[in-house]
Amino acid sequence: MKKPLKHVLLALMLGASTATIAIAADVAPAAGPARSSGASRPHWAYQPVQRPAIPEVERKAWVRSPIDSFLLAKIEAAKLSPSQDADRTAFIRRATLDVSGLIPEPEDVAAFVNDASPDAYEKLIDQLLASPRYGERQARRWLDLARYADSAGFQNDVTRPNFFRYRDYVVQSFNEDKPYSRFIQEQIAADEIAPGDQKALVATGFLASYTDNPNARDLIGRKYQITTDITDTIGTAILGTTVGCARCHNHKSDKITQKDYFSLQAFFANTAFDEKIPAAKGEQEIAYEKALAKYETAAKDILDKQKAIIAQIRDKASSFYKERYNPDARASIFKPKSEWNALDRWVNYRADVVTDQPALANYLRDIANDAQSPDHTPEAVAKWAEYQKLTEELKKFEKLKPTRGADTFTAATELGHSDSPPTYVYFGGNHERPLDEVQPAFPEAFANGETPAITPTAASSGRRTALANWLTSPSNPLTARVFVNRVWNEYFGKGIVGTVSDFGKAGDKPTNPELLDYLANSFVDGGWSIKKLHREILLSSAYRQSSAHRDDVAAVDPENKLLAVFPRKRLDAEQIRDSFLQASGRLEGAIGGPAVYPPLPANLNVGPAWEASNDPHEINRRSLYIFARRSVPYPLLETFDLNNPQQAHSKRDVTTTPLQALTLVNNDLVFQWSQALAGRVIREAGADEGARLERLYQILFSRSPDAYEKSLLQAFLDEHEKLIGAKPSDGKFSIAVPTGKDVSTTNPIRASAFVDLVHTVANSNEFIYRF
Amino acid sequence: MSKTRREWLFNAGYGLGGVALNGFMPGGGVFSVPLAQAAATFVDPLTKKAPHFAPKVKSVIWLHMDGAPSTLDLYDYKPELVRLAGQEVPESFLKGLQVTTSGGAGKLFASKRTWKQYGQSGAWFSDLLPNLAQHADKITFVKSSVTVGATHDISILKLNTGDVTPGRPSLGAWITYALGSANPDLPPYVVLYSGKREPRGGSVNWSSGFLPAVYQGTAFRPGASPILNLDKPELIAAAQQRDNLDLLRKLNEHKSGEQPSDTELQARTRSYELAYRMETSAPEAVDLSKETAATKALYGLDNDATKDYGTALLRARRLVERGVRFIQVVSGSVDGISDDNKNWDAHRKLEENHGANTRAIDKPIAGLLADLASRGLLDETLIVWTSEFGRTSYGQSGDGRDHNPWGYTQWLAGGGLKHGLTYGATDEIGLKTVENPVDTYDLHATVLQLLGLDHLKTVYLRAGRAERPTVVYGKVVGDLLA
Repeated sequence: MKKPLKHVLLALMLGASTATIAIAADVAPAAGPARSSGASRPHWAYQPVQRPAIPEVERKAWVRSPIDSFLLAKIEAAKLSPSQDADRTAFIRRATLDVSGLIPEPEDVAAFVNDASPDAYEKLIDQLLASPRYGERQARRWLDLARYADSAGFQNDVTRPNFFRYRDYVVQSFNEDKPYSRFIQEQIAADEIAPGDQKALVATGFLASYTDNPNARDLIGRKYQITTDITDTIGTAILGTTVGCARCHNHKSDKITQKDYFSLQAFFANTAFDEKIPAAKGEQEIAYEKALAKYETAAKDILDKQKAIIAQIRDKASSFYKERYNPDARASIFKPKSEWNALDRWVNYRADVVTDQPALANYLRDIANDAQSPDHTPEAVAKWAEYQKLTEELKKFEKLKPTRGADTFTAATELGHSDSPPTYVYFGGNHERPLDEVQPAFPEAFANGETPAITPTAASSGRRTALANWLTSPSNPLTARVFVNRVWNEYFGKGIVGTVSDFGKAGDKPTNPELLDYLANSFVDGGWSIKKLHREILLSSAYRQSSAHRDDVAAVDPENKLLAVFPRKRLDAEQIRDSFLQASGRLEGAIGGPAVYPPLPANLNVGPAWEASNDPHEINRRSLYIFARRSVPYPLLETFDLNNPQQAHSKRDVTTTPLQALTLVNNDLVFQWSQALAGRVIREAGADEGARLERLYQILFSRSPDAYEKSLLQAFLDEHEKLIGAKPSDGKFSIAVPTGKDVSTTNPIRASAFVDLVHTVANSNEFIYRF
Repeated sequence: MSKTRREWLFNAGYGLGGVALNGFMPGGGVFSVPLAQAAATFVDPLTKKAPHFAPKVKSVIWLHMDGAPSTLDLYDYKPELVRLAGQEVPESFLKGLQVTTSGGAGKLFASKRTWKQYGQSGAWFSDLLPNLAQHADKITFVKSSVTVGATHDISILKLNTGDVTPGRPSLGAWITYALGSANPDLPPYVVLYSGKREPRGGSVNWSSGFLPAVYQGTAFRPGASPILNLDKPELIAAAQQRDNLDLLRKLNEHKSGEQPSDTELQARTRSYELAYRMETSAPEAVDLSKETAATKALYGLDNDATKDYGTALLRARRLVERGVRFIQVVSGSVDGISDDNKNWDAHRKLEENHGANTRAIDKPIAGLLADLASRGLLDETLIVWTSEFGRTSYGQSGDGRDHNPWGYTQWLAGGGLKHGLTYGATDEIGLKTVENPVDTYDLHATVLQLLGLDHLKTVYLRAGRAERPTVVYGKVVGDLLA
């Protein structure tokens, strides 16, 4: 009774679709060793991964991979049978969307359908995994967990112009099939394990993606919040545990104490970030510097004058700016450098990097405006007036300033020192109430006795390397399980552990613990190869099943926990936009580089936070490359349950709202894509309307329209043509027609009706779901 | 596991031992379906849900004064501050405060206010709010507000979401999650703002955080078409779109034969009809053309200084009439301020800044209170006048004030309150709360209470943790309630 209650509880709390609900799934109690019932036994997820025996099954012919045996054993135990294979058209649409995030082209579908060779499926899957689209798709998943964004968040939400490098690092890592272990090590400790290697260093953008407000006055508090964010992100993303719960109190359901938690924070005690490391000069950097030079040359006179004004007041202004910090930070800031300890070093570095010219200019403004200030002089008033005048003049050069790109990169650093500030347990998580000091250590509950082997380097504490090594040690009970479960979740809509980021006691139990351990074990044995993991799942019979409804399954297993039917899934935000662009023939295939700003809806005025582009080469890029501004999530994507980049985002929700319908029906860009798709269909199918419908269905759904659809659509065209023809005209008769090169239409009104038809078919459920 | 987490949740959270699903969640009755079916059935996440107990109000209008007004110059009259103006802050007043003003706390500063008591309650108002003062007896003052943070971003997040870093749901999102929608033709949680630009920080302020995105606020933009993508594409006529949607329904229904029990797909098909209705209902909700000249004048729509904010508040009233649950109004920058900060953030030139800002809001808010009262809506609406923090008793830059999270005034008006009450107090110079502190969590708990929601039982399970709107804090300020 316990288990169903949990489901209903979640369902009620969400009041939402099943797809948003993490469902645990013990239809039949897991066979094999009891895992977490005994009070003395450690929690199942904290025990080492075992290589389970592959169960015996009756339908041996169905088994293509051990994965199938593990599932089939339970399906057979429930007296069910697996579903038959999906037809090839459905399979290729499913696999292409899952692996690359895009719909397949009709030619790819035809080639696969007509491939009579015995390894047709293997060839298809290998092709998909070899395509750079694979890395883009998988990167998006990881970036959700990394709470990646191109801006810092909070009210000012300042741009992080070089963070695209971290995104590109992630894409490239997936495409190269970098072992997951190395991938983790680089993201946590590249500055220690690969110093000087820019390609690896940008990986630490994973740590650096915390939300930040450079103008915070509470620097000690900020340091604590940054460390908290990093620690909790690693807990969620890599370990799949809710360690963050133990910050304010000992964990209520898992054996994680506050001491464990702060011992984990201690690995980051000495970590700072340099957001302005000069980058190796490639094409992008050279272009950026050229653009910047153009601006700086044009505005040189003004910029120099402003600099000169600030230079005259620099010392006073910078000490004035420092005065605004909380007393605890001021104690560090006003201490002579010779007396700095590790904490002072961090505080001063932070204060230094956030004090820019506008911050210094505030001093001038204040003394000029405040007649009572001891620094208030006629010269100060004149200087401020001059400075303001120059700022005003500068505005006419604003247009020249490059809005994208950077010649720097961001990476973690320990500021050249190996000694770390002390870390304390904080009473109730309040950093103003320190208790005992703690040393770096792994949480006892799942460390299985391992302790960190910390070797300081000349320039760094070595703490993060020790953490990274433990996270990626084959004996770590969580890292591999958590990751393979995430991949499973992407393919089957729910994880073997439904709560993908909580493998603790409060989380769901695995529905098939042997399968989970089989996957985790093979993953580590296979050298942490992510592509091998994907390949095995993609080529399993389980993944090949049809998603067609079955009464017998619905009766016995209404939530489809056994996976005797393949679960259909709403496309996520990026799949919808990218596939629509792909269908329209407009998708730009360029990989990587600075983020782009496609147009926003007309009535959304966010000022300089979003300088929209008109360049089709930019605005039609994949969604992955759209600027991730924390305060302005791109609306078209946001409405389809985009990740929230403020914190690690574990799983995309699926909600269904009228605002989504409004977006797909009314958004100007989407409508233009439909016009372009109509143009493409006409161009590729020729004059025959039946051929056009056939082509449209092949592009959108990888299938032919059936007789009912053909007659329905044909009738719609006739009626709709009349409707448009009867449209009241205000002197000039305006209609939307198909667009694109070589689109010849003899009857523009019927062509306009065809645009509406295309737009409507693309809005249908079949396009927004994959089956 | 002798006692599982979920049992704990079940018992502690809901005070029940049995399987009374109705007690689980507001509106549990809606979900009283066989267990196995419950999770497999797609339920509209915005389905109207019943509260925990009888609510006092149906809607909330949350008036956020962005930039933080000096409530010392509006409501919190301190003769002692006037007397001590120009002197250093006596050390005793600064005890325990993390003063972050450049150069430390400045000298005590008094502005050129004149003060008067109004109404039966005798509440104090300065000369900056002559119109609002007429409604003194409708207002419940909290003169002991406290919060955390010394910068706007941190404290605004805390005001809206209860945390100092981004990621938690805003109060409006929690309410939408708990109560659903009372009018499917409009979003249940609407954000309005004055000024030309989106509020700073944008959607972070009305985010659904870790709740599904469906519960986030929908920003209504100025102009006739308040929601993004509400207007048809330029060249598509209404009849044409209707015809398209009919075709769409047929296409979806045709395919649904393959997934006969898939309620999620059915909901998606239905969502297009809702969208179609919203194309009409949303512009109608903000169309002020049918309002009388007298009503418009009441909100100050006939005056440039008040038109912007007045329009937002008149829209707010229309949304209340249409069953919108939570209306978050963010004040924008106003004209007539020479400084960079055109919101309430008067580090300098307080006189000019607050002169312009109070001019912009005084008449509209007074108009809103009067209008709601005359339509019989005030008793079922809650108005909250709030800000991220207050401002210091000591001056800054000679003629401004710095941020003050230690003691400032907020007020409530509407149903379920003790009207004319003044609750809590700051010290003699108005710097720090000395009795009955009310933190943002307490305010949130109180707002939820008035909506019929127990803040301890409004929970969402996330990664093994029962999250609630008040994090791990908060108490209902019972003394405010009638």
